[in-house]
Amino acid sequence: MKGSSPLLDTTPLHVREARRRRLIYGLLTAFFVITQIIWVGVPVLMAVLWSLVDPQHPWSFPQLFPEKLSWAQWAYVFKYTNIERALKTSYSVAPLAVLLSFVLSLPTAYVLGRKNIPGKKVFMLVVLLPIIMPGMVVALFLSRVFAAFHLTQSFFGLVLAHTLMGIPYMIRVLTTSFESIPQDIIDAAENLGAGTFVKIKDIFLPMVRPGLLAGMVFAFTTSIEEFNLTFVIGTPTFETIPTILYSFLGYNFIRTNASVVALIMMTPNIILLFIVERILKSDYLSASLGKV
Amino acid sequence: MKRVILAILVLLLAAGIGFAAGAKEAPKAAAKIDLQKATWDQIVAAAKAEGQVTFYAWYFPDYFKEAGIDFEKQYGIKANVIVGDQTANFNKAIAEKDQAVGTIDVMIVGGQWVKTTMDLNLFYGPIKSIIPEADKLAPSLWEVQEGFLTRGFLAPFHRNQTGILYDPEQVKSLPQTWQELEAWIDANPKKFGFCDPSKGGSGQSFVHSVIAHTTGGLEKYKGDTDVVQSKVANWNLAWKWFQDRKDKLTITMSNNDSIIRLNGGEITMTVAWDDNVSDQMAKGNLFKRAKMYIPKFGLAGGGDTMGVLKNAPNKAAALLWIRHITTKEQQWKKFQMVKAYPARMDIAIEGTLLTEEDRKNNAIPWFPAPYKSYMISEFVKNVLMK
Repeated sequence: MKGSSPLLDTTPLHVREARRRRLIYGLLTAFFVITQIIWVGVPVLMAVLWSLVDPQHPWSFPQLFPEKLSWAQWAYVFKYTNIERALKTSYSVAPLAVLLSFVLSLPTAYVLGRKNIPGKKVFMLVVLLPIIMPGMVVALFLSRVFAAFHLTQSFFGLVLAHTLMGIPYMIRVLTTSFESIPQDIIDAAENLGAGTFVKIKDIFLPMVRPGLLAGMVFAFTTSIEEFNLTFVIGTPTFETIPTILYSFLGYNFIRTNASVVALIMMTPNIILLFIVERILKSDYLSASLGKV
Repeated sequence: MKRVILAILVLLLAAGIGFAAGAKEAPKAAAKIDLQKATWDQIVAAAKAEGQVTFYAWYFPDYFKEAGIDFEKQYGIKANVIVGDQTANFNKAIAEKDQAVGTIDVMIVGGQWVKTTMDLNLFYGPIKSIIPEADKLAPSLWEVQEGFLTRGFLAPFHRNQTGILYDPEQVKSLPQTWQELEAWIDANPKKFGFCDPSKGGSGQSFVHSVIAHTTGGLEKYKGDTDVVQSKVANWNLAWKWFQDRKDKLTITMSNNDSIIRLNGGEITMTVAWDDNVSDQMAKGNLFKRAKMYIPKFGLAGGGDTMGVLKNAPNKAAALLWIRHITTKEQQWKKFQMVKAYPARMDIAIEGTLLTEEDRKNNAIPWFPAPYKSYMISEFVKNVLMK
């Protein structure tokens, strides 16, 4: 039969190529979807199920799913922890920390991205040190500095602490954005008489906006998830969501309650990521078309 | 324009600093009275003048929140209950150690941190002579906590005991003697679990029992204030016991991890703390059919304590908080809410996971503190790293 053997296959080469490409894309997509399900879907689903386990009907081996679901674990967290206070603090501190880390990172990122300064690579590494070092080590040393400046147990101190943790991400992402701005555009603007302010307003800021949004996401999620420094310098006056989460996730691991707090912390972050992802896509497009 | 931007930045910074200064509460002066000499009524009056107490815990948020409400109702003193993580709590206390006035008044002290905190001189005391009815609280726990000397600085507020937790559907005959346990482990590879002793007290208790049974008992260590090398010379027998069974034992990551693995069916028998088990069971993390016992070969017990920080801003209120938690009413309430065994010896409790008979006959005391530290480091070196 025609086409039944590869030797007799008379299908045009480009069609076969297209089929092969489709197969590879299909396999890659399937691999991506399966990986996402394993790495993201399953843990989230498990967290949702564990958060709904009824205390009177434990979820144990060999049950595949919980015998009975209820809101008891959620009610417990809202009744017996300071989660509401923590939510208010977390979502007040994070936007301010993002703003401050942007303001403080911008000049450094500009210099690192656009100027050739000696020791630039070393500086780029130094900037990342707070992320590389263990959180509690950074917290213990920084708490001394904060105490010396009377910044512990204060809202501003907390914002500053979260800013410091967000700055490495912000600098790194903004630096890459500044680096990627074509020099031709800046030269052309200068030839047309653009001053510093016009260049910042019409070239730098629009072109680093995708990077800025990505940096904001990193800084925001870092702030929302920051535990060590907040715990040492903020509590007992301030509690954030991770300070509640760690009480269930740390030494005294209670999976049901930890799942509730993890979901409370995770959900706004996921929504934010989707929003920023949409903005980022449109921004890249508009930036490339010069319509920003 | 540059000047305008600069001015705005300076203004923002100034506003922030101003907000920070305004938001910060001035630390209260520590109680002026000599707490060691004052009468209890004077301490209560000083506590009321302080107006608040900050308490750090890492478990039982339900009970401690209720206890805080009761405290406020009874004394009119605000109770800030912070339930954090054990390690983070102590790291914070240690970070604030050199400050004249810290932020923590009173905190729970678990067995793992007694040595570090006592060595660092973190707590105010002794407080045994100050707290009313102190003699009603577990006397041995006032002096020694899980093998470490506390000398009346740390107040017992509940007792706990390690035992063997098991799934009665999987385990039909319970090993009681050392030989029976060995035979059970050999017959059921990987089904017996205990936690890494550097991560939790239940694991320490098991390794402690292994040492006792492989190296000639615990009597010889009594009264020692330092590790006597000749007495630990044969501990290699204990490490050999573990190495010989490395493929048959399951070493877990924490006290609660042991319970979680039992719930998940990975293991069917594990060493656990009774209060951990009750808590996990109450929250739906462990099947209700689970049972617990102390085998005849013996497992160690202990309890948790509370200590008043040396630089506590509200020391009198902290002492009053300890008194509040150790009253008969609160001890009973704690047991009803979270099933934690009271530290008070004058409360008769029935219907616990471990029977009174088990506690009386099979609970064993820890060997002295230096041996415990030595045991943990040697276990890591000779078992985990080999």
